[in-house]
Amino acid sequence: MGKYLAKRFLYMFITLFLIASLTFFLMKIIPGTPFASANKLSPAQMQIMKAKYDLDKPVPVQYVTYIGKMAKGDLGISFQFNNTPVSELMFKRLGPSAQLGFQAVFFGTLVGLVLGVFAALRQNTWVDYGATFLAVLGKSIPNFVFAGLLQYYVGVKLGWLPVLFWKGFEYTIMPTIALSMFPIAISARFMRTEMIDVLGTDYITLAKAKGASFFEIAFKHALRNALIPLVTVLGPLAVSMMTGSLVIEQIFAIPGLGEQFVKAVSVNDYPVIMGTTMLFAFLFVIVILVVDILYGIIDPRIRLSGGSK
Amino acid sequence: MAQTETNNQKQRFQPAIIDSSKSEEINKPSLNFWQDAWLRVRKNRAAIASIIIMFIVIFLAFVGPLFSGKQFDTQNVSHNHLPPRIQGLEKISWLPFDGTEVNRAGKEVNVYEKRGIDEYYWFGTDTLGRDIFTRVWKGTQISLYIAFLAAIIDLVVGVSYGAVSGYYGGRLDNIMQRITEVLIGIPTLVIVILMILVLEPGIISIAVALSVTGWVGMARVVRAQVLKVKEQEFVLASRTLGNSHKSIIYKHILPNLAGVIIINTMFSIPNAIFFEAFLSFIGLGLQDPKASLGTLVNEGFKVLRLHPHEMIVPATVISILMVTFNMLADGFRDALDPKMRD
Amino acid sequence: MKKSKFSLLLVLTLVFSLFLSACSGSKDTSGDKEKGESASNVKQEIKMLDTSEIPTMDTSLAEGSTSFTYIANVGEGLYRLNKDHKPAPALADGKPKISEDKKVFTFKLREAKWSNGDPVTAEDFVFAWQRAIDPNTASPYGPYMMNGKIKGANEITEAGAANKEYDLNTLGIKALDEKTLEVTLEQPFVYWEDLFAFPTFYPQNKKFVEEKGKAYASNAGNLLYNGPFKLTKWEGTAATDWVLEKNEDYWDAKNVKLEKISVNVVKDSNSAVNAFEAGETDMTGLLSSDIVPEYEGDDRMVSWLEPTVFWLKMNQQNKALKNVNIRKAIAQGFNKKDLASSILNNGSIPANYFVPKDFVEFDGKDFREKNGDLIKYDVKAAKEAWEKGLKELGVDKLEIRYLGGDTEAAKKTDSYMKNQLEKNLPGLTVKLESVPFSVRLERDNSQDYDLQFAGWGPDYGDAISFTDLWLTGGGSNRMDYSNPKYDELVKKAQTEYATKPKENWEAQQEAEKIMLEDAGVAPVYQRAANILLNPNVKGLAIYNYGPDYGFKWVEVKGE
Repeated sequence: MGKYLAKRFLYMFITLFLIASLTFFLMKIIPGTPFASANKLSPAQMQIMKAKYDLDKPVPVQYVTYIGKMAKGDLGISFQFNNTPVSELMFKRLGPSAQLGFQAVFFGTLVGLVLGVFAALRQNTWVDYGATFLAVLGKSIPNFVFAGLLQYYVGVKLGWLPVLFWKGFEYTIMPTIALSMFPIAISARFMRTEMIDVLGTDYITLAKAKGASFFEIAFKHALRNALIPLVTVLGPLAVSMMTGSLVIEQIFAIPGLGEQFVKAVSVNDYPVIMGTTMLFAFLFVIVILVVDILYGIIDPRIRLSGGSK
Repeated sequence: MAQTETNNQKQRFQPAIIDSSKSEEINKPSLNFWQDAWLRVRKNRAAIASIIIMFIVIFLAFVGPLFSGKQFDTQNVSHNHLPPRIQGLEKISWLPFDGTEVNRAGKEVNVYEKRGIDEYYWFGTDTLGRDIFTRVWKGTQISLYIAFLAAIIDLVVGVSYGAVSGYYGGRLDNIMQRITEVLIGIPTLVIVILMILVLEPGIISIAVALSVTGWVGMARVVRAQVLKVKEQEFVLASRTLGNSHKSIIYKHILPNLAGVIIINTMFSIPNAIFFEAFLSFIGLGLQDPKASLGTLVNEGFKVLRLHPHEMIVPATVISILMVTFNMLADGFRDALDPKMRD
Repeated sequence: MKKSKFSLLLVLTLVFSLFLSACSGSKDTSGDKEKGESASNVKQEIKMLDTSEIPTMDTSLAEGSTSFTYIANVGEGLYRLNKDHKPAPALADGKPKISEDKKVFTFKLREAKWSNGDPVTAEDFVFAWQRAIDPNTASPYGPYMMNGKIKGANEITEAGAANKEYDLNTLGIKALDEKTLEVTLEQPFVYWEDLFAFPTFYPQNKKFVEEKGKAYASNAGNLLYNGPFKLTKWEGTAATDWVLEKNEDYWDAKNVKLEKISVNVVKDSNSAVNAFEAGETDMTGLLSSDIVPEYEGDDRMVSWLEPTVFWLKMNQQNKALKNVNIRKAIAQGFNKKDLASSILNNGSIPANYFVPKDFVEFDGKDFREKNGDLIKYDVKAAKEAWEKGLKELGVDKLEIRYLGGDTEAAKKTDSYMKNQLEKNLPGLTVKLESVPFSVRLERDNSQDYDLQFAGWGPDYGDAISFTDLWLTGGGSNRMDYSNPKYDELVKKAQTEYATKPKENWEAQQEAEKIMLEDAGVAPVYQRAANILLNPNVKGLAIYNYGPDYGFKWVEVKGE
């Protein structure tokens, strides 16, 4: 186990290093100027501005400087927000995004599980189709449309919930629902497949014979077995959700990472792009590692040894 | 009475003829993989309904623009923002095809009469006065084209990468796995945006951008399946018989992958349609006047409150496509490989 | 456990059925919302929305209108744009003494205080201006606003770029004593008052800035205020909400009625309107043009014509566009009126000029009054010019690239333009290239385009901010337009006529005529802006350049 972990950590750092390098060079080939006032700058001024951000040096030099700084935890300063350190920008935004992502995954999984269980118990009946349809429908409507309609009808017309902003729990309800459509679809499908599988096993027949109730079978026996594979999918999904959903954040005016990131991409704010990418990648490899370890603990059939999982 | 009955019964039973030559015969017709799959898919009525609806949509996508009598890119500014109106259906007031629109004061107005337009625009027109009916089907074509193209690239790259990685194993596998890890680690959005900014914007580049990270999922599934299959006896036997790696991969391994490949592809098509819509939302969609469902929904979304039909029409089509593809994929999964997890 | 899951399911079903009912088209009308919300409470507070975060509150580094808006409301310079959008003395105690050659200005400063109690001194101006021009600061707007205007600015920038020694004290600004400031210009010009009202020229408290070092202006606590308001909550550039409160130490505090402004960032125009309709805000940011028709005639919508003109830049590095007839054909070959009224439909007007309407006036007459329409939509003339041009080039068809923006509105406009040009000019193929703003700027810089859809908004209230764009080799020309006669007139306006308003005016009008006779650019439209504003909020000043709004005179009236 110790050797395995050491090896995994080594790979993790190699992976992160490769991601950093790849993103760096990809960014260098994005067309566009990072300076918003570029059409007003004289050549001399342009020269001064480039020097400020080290952009006047050859790309390999910039690369070495960047990686060196990053190793020390310095992610540089943002272009669009003059002189603001990238780490400060990111960590202020991480909170709302993470909360929203977590709530959405949690809520989505719950709803998905319920839909999945019903679908499986009544396989190939209209209950099954209806539940599957509901689960899939959430995934099938472009989320900006869904979020926009939700905001207009529930927020403005009915006045049930705050229309936008991020100032307390009731403000998080609509964005959470809008964002949870994807986890609903995924967990419903998982739960359904797993339930069908489990329902055919001998021990369920035994449990039924012993008079176990419908819900006992569904939630006690089947759920437990379905959760393992679900964890492997929900882990990475949670990361991508917690690092922000551009659409939801923009429509509900939530100060999150996703919106900041896309803005940074569109104005060529290289340090912010790099910083956010690295944060995402870091969380991602950690979660993958945790999932693998968890998987090994839950399911003893999987041995944690050797190079490949 | 009782007597005759026993007699009758006796006559009914006859000793079976035991013929050892026939005992090995299989009575059920032998089914190949596809027949078997089809039998199981057929049981899933939702999947069947999905297939039918999907074919109707695809059919309309190709035929619709032909019989609308209009071009998808003809602009007529004086006919802009018209609500839907269909001959015949316009008399039925509860259908939204009577050419009326609710104006700001809350009154229903027949926009066609008000502006004195005789033409019929079945699904209305957009800001530039282009026929939405034609544009939606044209957009469906393009969305499907992008999705299929992306799915095919995923298929080719993902399957070969996964198969090679899984089959040869060892150090090669290790390196290849690290590469995919790097690709997954970078947010998809970054890569896709970068690809689109670097490549010339267009249908091909969007499809390529979508597949740059899309194939990784396929490769992982295929690799896992290959790892499982290659340990099985028939592969060992084939190798013992001296068959080359190539022929083993093609003859024995790939056919066993069909299930997972089909399911994965079925899911990657709707995902591509959707991601393209998202790209439109952030302004990286297709170049006008070309349209995809994504760009149409996005354009309509902007004028939703004044001219709801401009969004509802393409949003409905995209939702129908998404639902049917997903339901069908689910049906296939049930039929082909109920244990598969992605 | 069971129960809660059922109720979750119920909620979900509700949400979906809601969506479905939304789709079926059964709608009641909006707008008849009860007005009861804003009862009779006349608290002097407003809530407003902005469309972006504040990129910086450092006057030396600010380069966008969001920054300028908040800087101008919490700070003050020698001049301030007043209620009527004209610059008026603010920190300057009355008009300055101007030297014979109109180059040296001596300002007397009024008694004013920073929010930490320090007096605002002439030294604070010297410090701020020197900081803005210092190549070490690498400010975009400092040199842009000062070069060629404030003495010595150019030399400092050039030296900085070449990594040579420079002396900030050579900049034309001196503190004669604590309350007297002497400013020396490179050459005289008429719009000096606008310049001194511009946020880049605001003072900074030297001691405070140096003490805070890198942390200066990083949040509300690391800033000093000398304007009508102060930021009481602003957590830095990542913040999406902030609060301005009345500055009681402001010298003119008795004329400031508003107590508090709460600002939230909402980037999506539809969401902003939803918030306004739900009564969560008194004022939205600029509305996207798709929303405007919905509020036509509604007294809650405030509309105005901005001095921002959009045009097609025609890059004369392209052989075909070097031909004046081809340019004329393009400039006259699209229907601007339809574009403005049917497609934009937000109050924008077709532009047959490049110096905007309602922007500058002389002797009570608008710039446009005399110069009028210089290049209009005219299919016949366009076709003739096109034929002639093609003959001169010896070809019968042309393919031209068209560089446009990637926003929904830009794409629509570009699509329309392509259609118009191809329809009216037979043999022309327009290849659209929609790119993000940053890419467009870069390609403008390297002149990598044929046609480019671009716009320009001024930074000060003089026609010269438009006419000097097209000087031969000028920094913003970037399309190889060159006409010696034009250069001569504009140069004259900048130098010889700099202090003679009438001649200056006439020279610039003449220059505009020449430029459009050459069809140097193809003007498209002048943009209108629209916001939703609670009708109870009175006295909002809307500016044409620099800051977007002035809140100093805002008052909330009850019903």
